[in-house]
Amino acid sequence: MFKKIQNWFDERIELTELINEFNGERIPARGGWAYTFGSLLAFLFIIQVVTGIFLLFYYVPYFPMARNATYYIKHHVLLGNILLGIHLWGAFTMIFILLVHMSRVYFSGAYKKPRELQWVVGMVLFSVVVVLGLTGYMLIGNENSWWTINVLTNVAAHTPVIGGFLRIIVRGGTETSVITMQHIFAVHVWLLPIVVIMFIPIHIFLIRKTGEQGLPLEYKNSKLADDDINKWKHPDATVPFFPDQLYKDMIVALCVFAVVYLLAVVYGAEIGPMYRPLALNFAPEADWYFLANEELLKYFPGHGLIIFSTFLVPTIGFAILFALPFIDRGHERSPLKRPAATVLGILFLLLLVYLTLIGGEPKAPATV
Amino acid sequence: MTKSSEESPSRRTFMMVVIGLISAIVGVALAIPILGEVLSPLFKKRDIVWSELGKVSDLENIEPLVPKFVPVYFRVKEGWTVNTLPRQVIVVKDITGKLYFFSNQCTHLGCPLHWMPARQKFMCPCHGGMFNVLGKVVGGPPPRPLFVWVHKIENGTVLIQNKFLDNPKERGV
Repeated sequence: MFKKIQNWFDERIELTELINEFNGERIPARGGWAYTFGSLLAFLFIIQVVTGIFLLFYYVPYFPMARNATYYIKHHVLLGNILLGIHLWGAFTMIFILLVHMSRVYFSGAYKKPRELQWVVGMVLFSVVVVLGLTGYMLIGNENSWWTINVLTNVAAHTPVIGGFLRIIVRGGTETSVITMQHIFAVHVWLLPIVVIMFIPIHIFLIRKTGEQGLPLEYKNSKLADDDINKWKHPDATVPFFPDQLYKDMIVALCVFAVVYLLAVVYGAEIGPMYRPLALNFAPEADWYFLANEELLKYFPGHGLIIFSTFLVPTIGFAILFALPFIDRGHERSPLKRPAATVLGILFLLLLVYLTLIGGEPKAPATV
Repeated sequence: MTKSSEESPSRRTFMMVVIGLISAIVGVALAIPILGEVLSPLFKKRDIVWSELGKVSDLENIEPLVPKFVPVYFRVKEGWTVNTLPRQVIVVKDITGKLYFFSNQCTHLGCPLHWMPARQKFMCPCHGGMFNVLGKVVGGPPPRPLFVWVHKIENGTVLIQNKFLDNPKERGV
């Protein structure tokens, strides 16, 4: 019976061949577990899309009501707290795993020729996912959301020349209003997810095009020199994507999903208080992945220097990250054999962790 | 019978130009209204209103150099809604008896300022900006002194506008 159905499709569109082509991708054999982060991210993104779509059944982006709608989802919709919790913790996990994925690629030199485009497309995905996180934080509609919108649009206003216009365009006027919320909503549920949905296939297509390449440990038996580009095209052994690699991907996906689910059930999503415009004692807080940047904003005082923290440092930082494969052009991949890149990477991660930790400290009044 | 592109190179060029032109026309025709829609807020006038803050006689009785937070309510059009925007006005009387009407918005990135009586300073909870009671920056990243509300006194009543004096980049209130 099954064979008959298969034949019916094969006669017309050669379906089996197509599926085999899809599933037969050769993956280097030794580093299997290290290659699961990419598909884990795709998995987490699907979770975000599915939970997000169903959160829309109850959500309204109108400012004073948005927080009540979120509150309603959490406390009055049957199992809504779990759905909302998965969306929140899934987002946190996604950003964290993205950093892990990027670090893995960085330290194993996987962005090098011929995979430069792969890295650039990945950076696009990273930037978009961070903005998705920020806009999601704004959509909760609580007190923090309000101040996050204000602070970040004021940050945008420090962009040279177009800054003031940018703030008005994003806010839909000079004030944060119902239009602002609608803009953020449109960007969060349509514009950016569409960008991600377009760029994930490009990311995967590029892997297939550039061929099987992996960690330096895949090339132990290779007789070729390290700076020979052909060396990296022929790992010692490979396995097919299906089922060998997918099997590992699925195990990792299940473990991470279990953690996300547990966090959603145990901690859920915090809604926070309604926006009180007249409150005199409220200290706004950013999400954990933005604390490093938040901390940066404290260090550049006065008229001339603010632009460093609001525009120059983040922009130059992102520009360097985007251009990484064009800056670091050696063929050497092992982290031990390119100590400069490895040490710089570790220092950057430590700086990020340090800024995040002090950025997250309670906001005690600074000493005068 | 028209020739195929394989038979005539000029025919091929012509087809490619037509394909490109059609894509460009459709793209531009769509981009213009989309651009208009996105940039529309730049062409809207902000809704400016006067709102009553209180009697001058009451405000003049406050202690000198002790800020008093007085709420003001602006009824304004925002997009398709009409909203009431509650905002804080920091009223300060200096030693000569002159009244100042500051916004409690930090001039750095707009967080709500706290008054710390023990330090005699306004502190920003976000990035550590500090202002003295007369609005001058005394620490942290803020680039300029506190914003002053546009205000006037009519028949003994203080009126506040939802607008700051000296606000070239049109920061919202």
